[in-house]
Amino acid sequence: MVAKYVMLADTTRCINCKACEVACRAEWDTPLGYSRDWVKEVEYVNAKGLPEVQLFPGRCQHCDDPPCVEVCPSGASWKRDDGIVLVDHAICSGCELCVPACPYEARWLNPVTNTISKCTFCQPRIDKGLQPACVETCVGRALIFGDANDPNSEVSQLLKAKEWQKLVTDEVNIGPNHYYYTAGKAIPDTVMPKLNERHLSGTLMENIVNPLGTLGIGGMMAVFLGAGIKKLIDRRQDVSNKEVSHEQH
Amino acid sequence: MSSTKPTIKVRTKDVIAIHWFNAFFWLTLVLTGFGIISGDFVRLAPAFWPTFLQNLLGGNANLVLLHGIGGMVWAGVIGVYALLNFKRVVLPFLKNVLVLTPKAAIADVSSMVITLAHLFGLLKHKSVPPQGRYNGAQRLLGTMIIACSLAIAVTGMYLFLSPMLLDFAGSAGVLGGVFRWALVIHLAAVLLVLLGLVAHIYFAVVEEPESLETMKSGEAEVAFIKHHNPLWYAELEREGKV
Repeated sequence: MVAKYVMLADTTRCINCKACEVACRAEWDTPLGYSRDWVKEVEYVNAKGLPEVQLFPGRCQHCDDPPCVEVCPSGASWKRDDGIVLVDHAICSGCELCVPACPYEARWLNPVTNTISKCTFCQPRIDKGLQPACVETCVGRALIFGDANDPNSEVSQLLKAKEWQKLVTDEVNIGPNHYYYTAGKAIPDTVMPKLNERHLSGTLMENIVNPLGTLGIGGMMAVFLGAGIKKLIDRRQDVSNKEVSHEQH
Repeated sequence: MSSTKPTIKVRTKDVIAIHWFNAFFWLTLVLTGFGIISGDFVRLAPAFWPTFLQNLLGGNANLVLLHGIGGMVWAGVIGVYALLNFKRVVLPFLKNVLVLTPKAAIADVSSMVITLAHLFGLLKHKSVPPQGRYNGAQRLLGTMIIACSLAIAVTGMYLFLSPMLLDFAGSAGVLGGVFRWALVIHLAAVLLVLLGLVAHIYFAVVEEPESLETMKSGEAEVAFIKHHNPLWYAELEREGKV
């Protein structure tokens, strides 16, 4: 069976030390001011009237239906059989059509490579049997990574043992493969995914140019196929008429 | 030509060669172009086509390279040919084919509608107005193809070369924005031309195979010209060619 990689984040164990960010930036040599993962800190007043902080380690959610892959014109954004969403830097043009398509804001244009960067679950490391750099480095063991299709894996055991949540809403439910444990606390809205305004050019291509083009070419083909059939019928009729007049003579 | 009817040379070998060169490259570039666009929201071809072609060529990078180089060869050869033969071929062609005024456009659309209606046995009482070397539909298609080809060549070069040569990240999103709009224009222009090509190929193959023959041999039957293009025939008569 093909693996299905998932990331679990136990928010009750996260201490916002940023070790995961540092490890990721060191692993991927990301430019200053950019990171493939992050820890979102949410402050609020709880039901008892006391201030509270929740911490949400985040990264690309490697969704089952990734809109970033669906909008990519060149196929540079693609999804492996094991669920990992990757960017092929050899063909990524850096057009950024995928950036607003991601409701988790996990993609950005790398100023050094001029291509799109994002978390890959440290694909080269996991292909060697290692853990992602952020998981390896997490001091509180808040991040757990593994194969959800392997019933004996740690992630499979944990998914059964605890109540995990995904960052999904009624508006955005694209099958993320990143789970969060909050000890029953509700996930704040600020962490939840949001539909971004897409680039007008992409929307135009998707909703106007392509449908009209397909409809137009299909319509033209149907029209001229009809004309061709009519021509054949007319010719057949002509031949029949000639045969009849020939017999009469 | 197998016909024994009197004919007249209306096309030179180089014009015929550039036409078929254009046709071959269009076919190749459309097939490869539809193979490049992969995302479900933006692709035009059924999903199997990009997958098949990318696998066949060892990945989309090779396909993009093939399409890009092919596109530059297409634009380059036609561009050089047009420059070298501007007075002899291009200018007369443009004079005959370009629809530049609203009045001419209305006349050509009207003539095209009547021609298309006749295919289905409609508007039989209305005859197609006398045509010159190119009929209304051909002029409209020709104008559209010239405009679209220029757009395709310019946007195609930007799409192919800009990611390699320009700093998208350092332009505050401007160059990336131009890339995205270039993609829309490139695609829309290709679709427009394909729309016209359906009619072009149908007429050449089914309705007027004589035209196809002319595009192979360069010879056209005088009787065919007299019947289909009376204004052109009159012009040829004035020039003493028929």
